[in-house]
Amino acid sequence: MMDRFEKRKPMPKVDNFDYKDIETLQRFLSPQGRIHSRKRTGLNARKQRELKMAIKTARFLALLPYDNR
Amino acid sequence: MTQETHTYQAMFLLDNQEVRQNGFNAVRDQVKTTLEKHGLNAQVLRLWGERMLAYPVGSRSRATYLLGWLQGSGNSVNEAKKDFYLVGPVFRCMFLRQESVPEKELAYGIEQIEDSAVVIPDEAPEAVEEEPAVEAKPAKAAPKVTAEGEADADEGDADAEEEES
Repeated sequence: MMDRFEKRKPMPKVDNFDYKDIETLQRFLSPQGRIHSRKRTGLNARKQRELKMAIKTARFLALLPYDNR
Repeated sequence: MTQETHTYQAMFLLDNQEVRQNGFNAVRDQVKTTLEKHGLNAQVLRLWGERMLAYPVGSRSRATYLLGWLQGSGNSVNEAKKDFYLVGPVFRCMFLRQESVPEKELAYGIEQIEDSAVVIPDEAPEAVEEEPAVEAKPAKAAPKVTAEGEADADEGDADAEEEES
């Protein structure tokens, strides 16, 4: 578990979110498979929406899990 | 849906059993035929990979991914999707509208690869977790509280009182 005061890894800078780029998308997911909030990702609204759509597409194609519990 | 022609990116999940039996090229041709039947022009159809699924789909834990770039109308896409889900090797597909086909993708075209190039490992049998044996405990019968029982208890108490005296 991450220490309370440990600095988080910065989120990667992505121009276009692609549902096939699983490794990048996984950086924006919590260990449980939930999408991080805008506060955490630092993305603007449009980019966050693109991220959401890419993750949901990848989930439908069984590239990413819906739930990692 | 209109009859306007658009460019779509499509991803097909192919049943590994079918790919193993008929070969990748035959399955890809089957997909292409279905697309053409509904008026979709496949510009690119290529193997994207064979990988484990993030979650089981039916009884499948692995699948072969086929990536395609098509041109056609929205109606055609819907009809093709219905057809794919009815019969054939495709058990899941996704069509996404795109602006144009990237040049990098166009170079692939209708990819011809050797069937032996697609290595499909056997699906690992699912690990069955053995539940710890729980000893069956005899269910405790709830004490019956009946008028007779109460009467019995009263009698018993009365007897005890008599014995004490």
